[in-house]
Amino acid sequence: MDVEIDPNPAEPLLRLRGISKRFTGVRALDRVDLDVHAGELHVLFGENGAGKSTLINVISGTFPPDEGTFHFGDEQIQHLTPQRAREIGISPVFQEFSLIPSLTVEENLFLGREITHGGVLRSREMRKRASALIDELGFDIDPSQRVDDLSRAHQQMAEIAKALLGRVRLLILDEPTASLTERETGRLFELIARLKSQNVGLIYVSHRMREIRALADRVTVLRDGRHIQTLDAAGSTDGELVELMTGRKIDLLFPTITHRPDKIMVDIESLTLADGSVQEVNFHACAGEITGIAGLVGCGKSELIRAIYGIEPATSGVIRINGLPYEFPTPRRSLKRGIAYFPANRIAEGLALSRPIRENASMTGLDLPAFARFGVLRQAAERVTIAGIMEQLQLRPLNIERSAGALSGGNRQKVMLGRALTRELTVFLFDEPSVGIDVGAKLEVYEFMKRLIEAGAAVIVVSSELPEVLALSNRLYVMHHGRIAAELKGAEKTEQNVLSSFFRDHLAAEVA
Amino acid sequence: MSDLELSVGAKDPDRPRLTLSRRLWSAVLPVALAVLLLGFATFDHGVLSSANLLNIAQQTSYLALFAMAQTVVILTRGFDLALGPTVSMVSVGTALAMAGATASGHGTAAVLLAGLAAGFALGIACGLFNGVVIALLGVNPFVATLGSYNIAIGIATTLSSGRPVQGVPPLFSQIFYGGSLFGVPAAIAITVAVGVLLHLLLARTVFGRSLYLIGTNPRAAAVAGLPVKRILVATYVLCSGLAALGAIMMTARTGSGEPNLGGALSLQAIAGAVVGGTSLAGGRGGVGTAVLGALFITILSNGMNLTRIDGYVQMVVLGAIVIIGVLLDRLRQERRQ
Repeated sequence: MDVEIDPNPAEPLLRLRGISKRFTGVRALDRVDLDVHAGELHVLFGENGAGKSTLINVISGTFPPDEGTFHFGDEQIQHLTPQRAREIGISPVFQEFSLIPSLTVEENLFLGREITHGGVLRSREMRKRASALIDELGFDIDPSQRVDDLSRAHQQMAEIAKALLGRVRLLILDEPTASLTERETGRLFELIARLKSQNVGLIYVSHRMREIRALADRVTVLRDGRHIQTLDAAGSTDGELVELMTGRKIDLLFPTITHRPDKIMVDIESLTLADGSVQEVNFHACAGEITGIAGLVGCGKSELIRAIYGIEPATSGVIRINGLPYEFPTPRRSLKRGIAYFPANRIAEGLALSRPIRENASMTGLDLPAFARFGVLRQAAERVTIAGIMEQLQLRPLNIERSAGALSGGNRQKVMLGRALTRELTVFLFDEPSVGIDVGAKLEVYEFMKRLIEAGAAVIVVSSELPEVLALSNRLYVMHHGRIAAELKGAEKTEQNVLSSFFRDHLAAEVA
Repeated sequence: MSDLELSVGAKDPDRPRLTLSRRLWSAVLPVALAVLLLGFATFDHGVLSSANLLNIAQQTSYLALFAMAQTVVILTRGFDLALGPTVSMVSVGTALAMAGATASGHGTAAVLLAGLAAGFALGIACGLFNGVVIALLGVNPFVATLGSYNIAIGIATTLSSGRPVQGVPPLFSQIFYGGSLFGVPAAIAITVAVGVLLHLLLARTVFGRSLYLIGTNPRAAAVAGLPVKRILVATYVLCSGLAALGAIMMTARTGSGEPNLGGALSLQAIAGAVVGGTSLAGGRGGVGTAVLGALFITILSNGMNLTRIDGYVQMVVLGAIVIIGVLLDRLRQERRQ
C-alpha cells in the first residue's frame, strides 16, 4: 500500500460541516459536522438508524449530501462519485461486500484498475502485487482463489485488502470485525495501528465497546441523524457513550402498559432453522403481555418470529400455539390460527405499493366471508369495513382509495396494522415495528400494542432499538449468534444487562 | 443506518403526475387508432368500407382473445411464449379427435363434443404444465414457456405429420365461424362474452384481485397469506384455456387442424397486451388494455395488407412495436419512481 504523508497535520484531513441528507419522508442526516485528522481513528457510534451508514456513504461518494460542505485535504469536494473518492484516497469497506463472487481475489483487487500493457492484462504483475499486499497485511488468503470459495471472514479480509490497494488517505471500516475470529481481529488491529503510524485517517463504525476502547482516539455519537457530541475516547466512560447514544428523552415516549400474563400462547422448544440463523431456541410468549426480543443485527431474532409465521423454514424443534403443535407453518395457515406478522421491510414484504390502501388492508382477509363469498368480492362491505378500520387507526387523510405508495412510513405501518383488525387474531409478531416511521406514529403503534394485550392477545416485539424493547416488554429475551443469551424480567431488564449479554462472548474471549 | 431503512426512504410515486400520464396514455391509443385508420384510408378507400370494418372487428376478436390470455399471465409478472404453439397443438388435437370420432361412427353432437373436449383438455394440460414448471418448480416464465413452445410445436407437428388434419365436420365451422348471435358473427360474440366474463373475474373476484396483488408485489402477497403458487398455476391454466378457445374458433375458420396455425400468435398476443398498456412489471392491465391493443395491431396489419406492404416488412414492424411498447412501459415505470 502506498501511503501519502499529510503535509499539514494541524488541518483535519476530512472536514464536514452541516451535512444533511434526506430520503423521502426520512431525514437521515441533519446538519452533521465531522472532523477526521490524519493518523486518527475516529469512531462513529450510534444505534441502528442513527445515520452512521448514510454518513459514510456520503463520505465515500455513494450519494451526494443535500446540503453542507465537504473538505478533504486542502480541497473543497463537490460532486463526489465512488470512483473519484478512491482517486483522492478515500477507501471504504462496507458491510455489504463489493466483491464479485465469481472472480478470484486478485481479479477483484484490480477490478476497474487492472494493470495492462497495450490493452493486454499483465496477470503476473497483478498477481505479484496482490500477493505482496496480502502478505504485508498478514492475511491468510490465497489471491488466486475465487471469492465464492472463501469463508465470510476471508471475504472480509479480501475486502479490506481491496480497500488498501493504491493510495489511501482515509480508510472507512463499517463493523469490520463482525465476521472475523479473534485471531483475525488481532491482525486487523495491528494493521490499523500501522496505518495510523503512517498517518492514514480512519473512520470506524462499531457497536463493540471493547473495540472502541482499544482503538479509538475520538468518538462521534450520532442519534436520529444528528451529531450529538464528539468526545475524546480516553476521557469518556462506556455509560456516558451509551447514554448519549440512546438519549433519555425517549423514555417519555412509551405508554404505560399493564401486563397481565395469562396462559402460554406461543411455546417454542429447541427450534433450529435451516439456515442456522436460529439454533435450539426455547422461547415462550403469554397472552396479555408483550414479549420482547433484543439482539444485534443478524443474531436471528427476526428469523425466529418469521419461522413461527412460516416464512423461514425450520429443520427441527416444536412450535405450539395455544397448546397445540403447529407443524409446517405457512402464512395462510398462520393467519387462520390467529397469528399475524408485521414485517420490518414494509416495501419488500408488506405492501403492494401501487394498489389502493383498501386492497392492501384487506389483503390478509380475502379468505373471510366478510370480504368475499364463493370467491366473489363483497366490494361494498370491504369499503365500509376498511374505512372504519382506517378511521379507528386515524389514517390522515382518510382516503382508502389512495395508493399505499403515496403514504408516509407511519401511515404505511397503519395500513399494516389495519390488516390485523380485519380478522380474529391472538398472536401478533412485530418485526422492527417502528423502523422508518416518525415519533408520532411510533407512539400510535405502541398504543396499538397496548390495546392488543389488554384485549388478551400475545404480542411479540423484535427490535434493534433497545429502549423500545426495554420499555415495551414485560419479559425480554436477548439473542446472540442464533441462541437465547438471556431472559430478563422485572428489575433485571436494564440496558446494562442487555448490552452485557450482547458482549458476553467478546468479553469472555478477551479474558481468554 | 440499515439498508432496510434506505429502502424505506425510497421515493414515493409522484401521484399527480401518475394520474396525468395514465390519462394521457389512455387517450393516446384511441387517437393513434383513429389516425392509423384515416392514414391507411388515404391510400386505399377500401379501408373504411363497412365490409372491411366488419373484417377488422372479426380479425380483432381472435387476437383480442389471445391478448386477454397473455394479459392474464403478464399481470402476475409472467409470460406465455408458448401461446402460439398451444393454439397449433389444440387445433390439430381438436381436428384429430373429431376425425377419429366421425370415423368410429359417432353422431354429430358426439363428434363436436369430442373435438371441444380434446381441444380444451390439451389447452388445460399445456397451462398446467407451464404453471407447475413456473410456480412450483420456480423456472423463469420466459425460459419455461420457451421450452414448452418447442414441446408444443413438436407435438402438433408429430400428431399431424406436419400436414393439415382433415375431417372437421362442416357443422363445427358453421357454429364457431359461420354462426351468429343476434346478427353478430360468432367470433365477435364469443370474444365479447369472454371479455365481459374475464373482466368480472378480474375486477370482482378474489382470484382477480390476487392477480393484481401478486403482480404488484409477489413477496408481500405471499407474506399476506395469499396462495401464490396455486393462483399462478390457475393463471397459466386460464391463459392456455383461453388460447384453446381461440384455437377452436380459428380451426372452425380454416376448416382443418393446422399444425402451424399459431405461427406468429405468441408475439402478436404479447404485442397486443403490451401496446394496450399492460405492464410487464406486473399488476397493471386488464380486458380493456388487451382489446385496445389487439385492435391496434389488427388495424395496423389490416392497413399494411391493403396498402400492400410486404409480409416480411410487416414482421419487422410487429417486432419493433413490441419493443416500443415495452420501452413506453418502462418509461412510465421510471416516471412513477
